Amino acid sequence: MPLAPTEDIVRAVCTDKWDGQRLSPSLFVGENISVSRLAITALEEHWDLFREHVEKPPRRHLMLIAEINVGRLQAIGGKEDPAVELTVEPRPEAWNPAHAEIPQKITRGLANKILPELKLHQPPASEQQ
Amino acid sequence: MPISVQYERPAYELVEGLREPAQPLAVSRAEPSGWARQASVLRKLGPKAWVRVSLFRNYFASGWGENGRVLSPRALDAFFRFVEGATFPTGNRSPSVFLTDRGGIELCWEDRNGSPVQVEFTGGGIEYYEAATDEEGVVAFDGLAHLSQRLSA
Repeated sequence: MPLAPTEDIVRAVCTDKWDGQRLSPSLFVGENISVSRLAITALEEHWDLFREHVEKPPRRHLMLIAEINVGRLQAIGGKEDPAVELTVEPRPEAWNPAHAEIPQKITRGLANKILPELKLHQPPASEQQ
Repeated sequence: MPISVQYERPAYELVEGLREPAQPLAVSRAEPSGWARQASVLRKLGPKAWVRVSLFRNYFASGWGENGRVLSPRALDAFFRFVEGATFPTGNRSPSVFLTDRGGIELCWEDRNGSPVQVEFTGGGIEYYEAATDEEGVVAFDGLAHLSQRLSA
C-alpha cells in the first residue's frame, strides 16, 4: 500500500552526488529510487543508518540528507505534461525497516523540478567538528 | 685502550622465501592526448572537477553505491571529447561533475541566463537536458560534436 501524502521521506546524498555547490539531478533520475521514511526512523537516526550502510569510505562519504514530503512529490509529478503519477511504496529491508521506493520512471526533466523542493539537512553540528 | 666492536646477530631474520625482489621505481606517464584532455578539464571546469574526475576514475570500484557501476571508459572518453569542444559561461560557479549509478559521468552548469544545462555520458550514449526549454534527449556518440557546439555558451 503506497505511503500517505502526509509522510516525509529522505534520501542519502553522498560525495558522488554533491560537490559542495550543486546537487546531482541523477539523485532522482530513473526507476525504483530508494528512499527512507521518517515516520519509521527519525532523521537523527538516519545519519548513523546511512553512514553504516550507504556510505563507503574512504571514497564515498555521506554529505547531506535530502527530505521531501510525499504529497509535494506527487504534486510535482502531477504538474508534468503528461502528468506523472508518483507513488512511494514501502520496501522494508533487513538493514532498514524504513526503506521505500519510488517505482515509476523519473525523467531528468522531472528530477530537475524535484531538486529545488528538497530540504537539505547538514550533518549534526557535533559531527561537523 | 683498544676498542672492540662486537657483531650481534639481528633479533629477526627474514626467511628467503618471503623476501621480495627489489623493484625499480616506475614512473607511469599518461599518453600525450591524456595530458591534453586533463589539461582541458582543468582549464574549462576548474580544479574541483578535475580532482573529482580523477577520484571517480581511480577510486570508485564496482558496487560503490547502490549497486553503482564502475565509470565506463566509453563514457569518460565522450566526456573528455565534449569538454574539449565546449565552452562554458564564466561565472561564479564552475561546472559540476558527478558519478551516476549506471557508471556514467554527469556534467552540470548554468547557461548565460542562469538556467541549468546537464549532460550525462554513459557507456551507450549521451543524455542531455536544457531547463530553459525543458528539452531532454539522447544522442549517439557520433552526435557528440554537434551537441557540444549546441550547448556551448
